[in-house]
Amino acid sequence: MTTSSHAAPALTTTSGRGLPDRPPPRRRRRSWAPYAFVAPAVVLFVVFLLLPIGYAIYLSFQGLRLAPGGAFGRRVQVFVGLDNYKAAVTDPEFLAGFGRLAVYGLIAVPFTLGLALLFALLLDHPRTRARRFSRTAIFIPYAVPGVVASLLWGFMYLPSTSPFSWVSEAVGGGAIPFLDLPLLFPSIANIAVWGGVGFNMIIIYTSLRGIPVEIHESARIDGASEWQIARRIKVPLVAPALVLTGLFALIGTLQVYGEPTTLRPMTDSITQTWVPLMTIYRDAFTRDDLPLGSASSVLLALGTVVVSLLLLRITQKRAFGENG
Amino acid sequence: MPTPLGRRQFLTGLSALAAGSTLAACSGQKSSTGGTSPSASGSAAAAPGEKITLNFWAWGTSQPGLVKAWNKANPDIQVKHTDAGGGTDSSTKMLTASRSGNAPDVGLVEYTTLPAMIVGEVASDITSHVQDIKSSFTEATWGQTTFNGAIYGIPQDVGPMAMVYNETRFKALGIELPTTWQDFATAAESVRKADSKSYLTVFSPQEFGNFAGLAQQAGSSWWKVDGDTWTVGIADEASMKVADFWQDLVERDLVKVEALLTPQYNKELNAGQVLTWPSALWAPGVIYGAAPGQAGKWAMARFPQWTQGDARVAYQGGSAAVVTTSSKQPEAAAKFAAWINSSKQGADIQLGTGQYPASILGQQAAVASKPPVLMPQQEDFWKLASEIAAETIPSISWGPNVNVASSAFQDAMTKALAKKTPLRDALSATQEAVVADMRKTGFKVNG
Repeated sequence: MTTSSHAAPALTTTSGRGLPDRPPPRRRRRSWAPYAFVAPAVVLFVVFLLLPIGYAIYLSFQGLRLAPGGAFGRRVQVFVGLDNYKAAVTDPEFLAGFGRLAVYGLIAVPFTLGLALLFALLLDHPRTRARRFSRTAIFIPYAVPGVVASLLWGFMYLPSTSPFSWVSEAVGGGAIPFLDLPLLFPSIANIAVWGGVGFNMIIIYTSLRGIPVEIHESARIDGASEWQIARRIKVPLVAPALVLTGLFALIGTLQVYGEPTTLRPMTDSITQTWVPLMTIYRDAFTRDDLPLGSASSVLLALGTVVVSLLLLRITQKRAFGENG
Repeated sequence: MPTPLGRRQFLTGLSALAAGSTLAACSGQKSSTGGTSPSASGSAAAAPGEKITLNFWAWGTSQPGLVKAWNKANPDIQVKHTDAGGGTDSSTKMLTASRSGNAPDVGLVEYTTLPAMIVGEVASDITSHVQDIKSSFTEATWGQTTFNGAIYGIPQDVGPMAMVYNETRFKALGIELPTTWQDFATAAESVRKADSKSYLTVFSPQEFGNFAGLAQQAGSSWWKVDGDTWTVGIADEASMKVADFWQDLVERDLVKVEALLTPQYNKELNAGQVLTWPSALWAPGVIYGAAPGQAGKWAMARFPQWTQGDARVAYQGGSAAVVTTSSKQPEAAAKFAAWINSSKQGADIQLGTGQYPASILGQQAAVASKPPVLMPQQEDFWKLASEIAAETIPSISWGPNVNVASSAFQDAMTKALAKKTPLRDALSATQEAVVADMRKTGFKVNG
């Protein structure tokens, strides 16, 4: 069936262009080639993305319930409808996790983007020296794995090992409670900012380098200062890059997991449900309720898509011009 | 779990599970054979003279030695050991692996998670294979692996509760060794007066197992099952008494609220600023690991009591080997589990690595061995240990959702300590979460 449906248009095209008739088998072979080439990608996409998503959705409608047998029953998987979704949206801790995420995001996102833009503009400034070195130095933290970064900062936060607390104690103050509220939020956001600025800076910087030199030159000839050039020419022109990095930062915020999880053993202020992903992990694995974890994951994924689309919609017109 | 769990990793993980469960569904072996008739499938799998390979998941330093000794003595039943992480991680993995039908034949499980492993159909009923070794264990120990008359595991090590303390600092500050909890509170006060940087002990909201042990000592029973009806007593009067006791110490700043074994805590240990750890017989190894410089300064003593003259203590920690329902050679697996945990050779290997064996034979052998490296001066360590072990409370029962209880407890306690609300309320919140979860699953719960 597939073969004939492909063969027919091929023939029409041939005759339509007025070319001499060719034997159909060759056409048929050619029309299969693209499928063969995309097959590996499609297979990987289906096996490692679509199937797992499908399985997660399937699991989210299941539940482990008691059935007769064993010393005191056994838990078996049954269909429970929307029970898991109900449990997820009515779990105050899961929802409170989003609140904590918001506080964290309000600190982490503006700082990451602001610093990334600042560093990119400074690097792009014509009189900047040691450009290559600075670029590498700012980028290096991004190459440090998140868990290593969290441990590293964790030691700098713990009163007994913190150099900051050491200084503060030496001058007569007490240890700085980095890992207790309210300093906990900036402390954790700081790890993400430290690791994320370099990456975002590179994206913005690359975009800055793509601005035609003539634009700067004519602005300079017109008497614009570097500050004016940065504010009125560079920033508007790299707006698409800013939207992109903003989107990354937002998605990154919704997926915060590594930093608080690594810091958790060091402080009592981080609960097992501190952010939504931690709640999902706890439900799925610590509490052996994979279906509930799946339902929460589906909700989180949907939420991420919705927020991303909203952000794109709001910023698209301004960033990409009236065509957006 | 050493890496942050991004969405992609999470999905990849799910896909692995998806693949696994598909396989299980194809072979159809999971729920059909589940734990009911292990001997039948066992004899079918192993023909006489044929070599069997068993998989064994366990953590701890004594396992490689135990497996090596067994493999040497049993050329036909070879065991492959995998360290799948500590108690919580290992059990989590076993539950998942079991659902996809590829759990190991034998796995080490903490007593606290054993009921969850039974309802999760990981641990199988091995009553018919191990009747003859019942006399190798005390009633209290055996009670930890027997549920409604069926045996689900063979005890490996136990943790009767005891208190380790910094003897040198006790003497330096002129503190008397507390034998009751009332004395303990007085001692806590004296320590604060003697040295403002030191505390008698720390109270950590993460220590679920420790608190459960304290409550059990006070007379509480967190889970009880009668037929198919459960009673949950996490917020009963005895538990509340323990909560109030610690609340008072916390409010008067007589104990420090912090997590155990953090770099911060370890530094305080090394500086002699934390004077005791009321925990269990395995504590010396843990303290030594965090503060090797303290060797020779610490000692072990009996646990403080609520009533002067009592000697009752609960267990904290300890584990048993279970034969999984996925095992195709349950008989050989049970034999292996029984041998490592009840033979003299097995006990000697455990003692060599500082583990307190669960078997009577092992505990007798312990009396003759050297004290732990943390307290080489305390020559009667193991004699005292065996006396303490003989006084443990029999028939402690854990519930099918200790994992839920432990996570609910930790978060409720953390919140209560941070917001300075009563610890009692945290226990009530834990109780509610546990009962709600049990009812959701379908258990009958009293009250």
